[in-house]
Amino acid sequence: MTKVELRGTVEAGARWKPRVVAFTCNWCSYSGADMAGTARIGYAPNVRLVRMLCSGRLDPIFILKAFEEGADGVLVSGCHPGDCHYVQGNLYTRRRLEVFANLMEFVGIDPRRLSFAWVSASEGVKWSRVVDQVVSQVAEAGPVGSWAVLHAPSTLAPQPRQPAQPPRQPPSEEEVRQTTLNLRELARRLLENGEVSRIIGYAHSAGGMSAAPAFIDTPEDAERLAWSANSPGNLTAYLSGPNRARRPGKTAVVVKTCDARSLGGLLRENQLPRDEVVAIGVSCSGQWSGGRLAAKCYACESDISPLADWSVGAGGIADGPHPGTARAVAPDPRDAEIAALASLPAGERLAFWTGEFDRCIRCYACRSACPMCYCETCIADKTQPQWIPAASSGPGNFAWNITRAMHLAGRCADCDECARACPSNIRLDLVNHSISRSIERSFGSRVEADPAAVAPLTTYRPGDPDRFL
Amino acid sequence: MTALGWHLSEKEWTEWLRVLLESGIAVIAPVLGTTGTSEFQRVGSAEEAAAPPPSRTAMSPKKFLFPQSEVLFSFDFSGESATLSQPEMERGRQLLVGLRPCDAAGLRRLDEVFLSEPEDPTYSERRQRTVIVSQACTQAGQSCFCTAVGGSPSGREGADLALTKLEGSGDLLLEPVTAGGEELAAPASASWRPITAEDRAQAARQAEAVTSAITREPLPPNAPPILASSFDSPAWAEVADGCIGCGICAYACPSCSCFDITDSGGAACGSRCRSWDSCAFSTFTRHASGHNPRADQPSRYRQRVMHKFSYFPAEHGGEMMCVGCGRCIDLCPAGVDIHHAVLALASGATLRVQARSGVKA
Repeated sequence: MTKVELRGTVEAGARWKPRVVAFTCNWCSYSGADMAGTARIGYAPNVRLVRMLCSGRLDPIFILKAFEEGADGVLVSGCHPGDCHYVQGNLYTRRRLEVFANLMEFVGIDPRRLSFAWVSASEGVKWSRVVDQVVSQVAEAGPVGSWAVLHAPSTLAPQPRQPAQPPRQPPSEEEVRQTTLNLRELARRLLENGEVSRIIGYAHSAGGMSAAPAFIDTPEDAERLAWSANSPGNLTAYLSGPNRARRPGKTAVVVKTCDARSLGGLLRENQLPRDEVVAIGVSCSGQWSGGRLAAKCYACESDISPLADWSVGAGGIADGPHPGTARAVAPDPRDAEIAALASLPAGERLAFWTGEFDRCIRCYACRSACPMCYCETCIADKTQPQWIPAASSGPGNFAWNITRAMHLAGRCADCDECARACPSNIRLDLVNHSISRSIERSFGSRVEADPAAVAPLTTYRPGDPDRFL
Repeated sequence: MTALGWHLSEKEWTEWLRVLLESGIAVIAPVLGTTGTSEFQRVGSAEEAAAPPPSRTAMSPKKFLFPQSEVLFSFDFSGESATLSQPEMERGRQLLVGLRPCDAAGLRRLDEVFLSEPEDPTYSERRQRTVIVSQACTQAGQSCFCTAVGGSPSGREGADLALTKLEGSGDLLLEPVTAGGEELAAPASASWRPITAEDRAQAARQAEAVTSAITREPLPPNAPPILASSFDSPAWAEVADGCIGCGICAYACPSCSCFDITDSGGAACGSRCRSWDSCAFSTFTRHASGHNPRADQPSRYRQRVMHKFSYFPAEHGGEMMCVGCGRCIDLCPAGVDIHHAVLALASGATLRVQARSGVKA
């Protein structure tokens, strides 16, 4: 079926018949479908097969592309767990698709449109049953047809964001000043001793930011360094990828507790050698802007990350991670917002999220600000094939934001930098945080600062949740 | 120009907008959005358009002349013969109101680019059916620097009609700047009071107060030639410290005009689309071979600054391709400040030396 045919079905109106794209693995499900054919077992003719070597090859962007091109439903099918031709490909995909399906549900895509099945080469009968079931489900859900359907105006009233009482007070001016002085002292020392050749930290800014990134290469220049109760910017974004600003030798980087999680991620993913980076943990009581504490800080338990090589606070400088005394935390306000969204009917959720993504201007600030978006060529910049439509429009914006979220699944450090950088205030923080929570629910693991911790989507367990038919 | 301007009450102003709306003109004005920022939007009622929120819109109004993405044509080879089709465009007139003088001036810079030969047909078509009403600023933001680049918070460049809201009474002064503006106002203006000398005096006092509230210093008059000779300055790396290569500055800018062309669809049918592009992206200059003449972020940032403050002025009688609206400064996630950068480059001092003297603990 060509794209033209696929699109043609949209106009069919009363003659509408569901079109389902099925991604099948070469070794089991494709052969299973073949078996159904040779055995003359009938099944609904609405399914079009895309053969892949392994269900592990399935990138969720294939599913988005199928929907974008007019499919009403998608089926992914592979070998039964334990039967994978490549031993474990389907077990990885089971995890990945669990996360993807939860995300699709969170943004309000009708779950009847997305199905998964294990079908072996001998299960022609099962294949027939699965296809019939999937097609009838999709028929019930009705046509997607065009993405215009996804642009029902939201009936949601704008929700004022009134987070709960913060668990802590902002630091005093004196604490901030002392921290700044200690930071400069340590920076001077490290640069004078030649221990590091560059320090990536914050400086006061003439522009719109209270503290802007600054690269310090000489002991004299250390005077520019500053700490503020609002020091946004995850500076580990300058350690690797297109924004890499490391210098030969060691580069020191000022990190908050959240930023250190992405440093751990970069080390885990072999983006830089541990001995070329010096982490300066600054005692952080949370990020305060206009008297409000950033949502990500409510539940943050430690003012200094365990990854810190140096700890700097108002009280002084210490070698290694020296967190302050135990501090008060409160429930993460993002969880309440996610729960409120999740309680809405799917159509309302979809309207909310398409409304959010409609504001996307495709400036890619989310990607640029993100330490974990280190690809030299982003999938959004690829044109052959063009996976993500370049135009700022419904399908392109949806595909971009969902794809980026999936690329960060199990890797996102939860620093909310994407949401801060977004000039359109799209709630990317809720997208990413909802994925983190779904991973926690499904696999019991979260993103850790420890570089030795295994990232949740790079592993599997035999007893993982299984939504495959 | 025969008419010199009119003094309108808020009621008269709203009434006029209502008449225009009812005549089928699309009225576009700043509207407070759900996220607390304001944006230019097509409005449904005169009341919405008459009372714009005081905050500057996050994005400039340029998308109403130069859309972020637009299909230029569609092609279809699936039948017997190839067919090309152009998308339906709106044909009605549009009225942009509530533009700050910098925004109107920014659109004038776009005219320079798109209306000079070879003229851009879709831009030109939209421009011809657009009337622009600028509104004098009543306050200055900390990132505002229109006065540093030859503008003014009460400037009229690019406007067809200039509006000034009088403090105290809340009345409005509406003054025609172009024949098009006067023509639009003509049917209604017969019943309006003419502007008095006293009105003008108050408007001038207000303009002066806002001008003096802009704290950012003017660029030296010889900034363009100094920049032109600073191509190899090491200061570029310093002023672009931290630039993360996103497209916010170019997309929010009222005068940035660069775009990219992409084909979408398949071999049988599809469309050619143009979308905004940004010189901050690495893909902006990447060759098919993979070679990139602007290999790093400082060289891309240099292009941005040079284009606005050196290359463009050299070809346009000293006029800069920056109107000082300050959006790029406010929105930059990495704190890059274009006004600061140009001053640093033009003064020959490096940013680091400058900043060091000015930083408090």
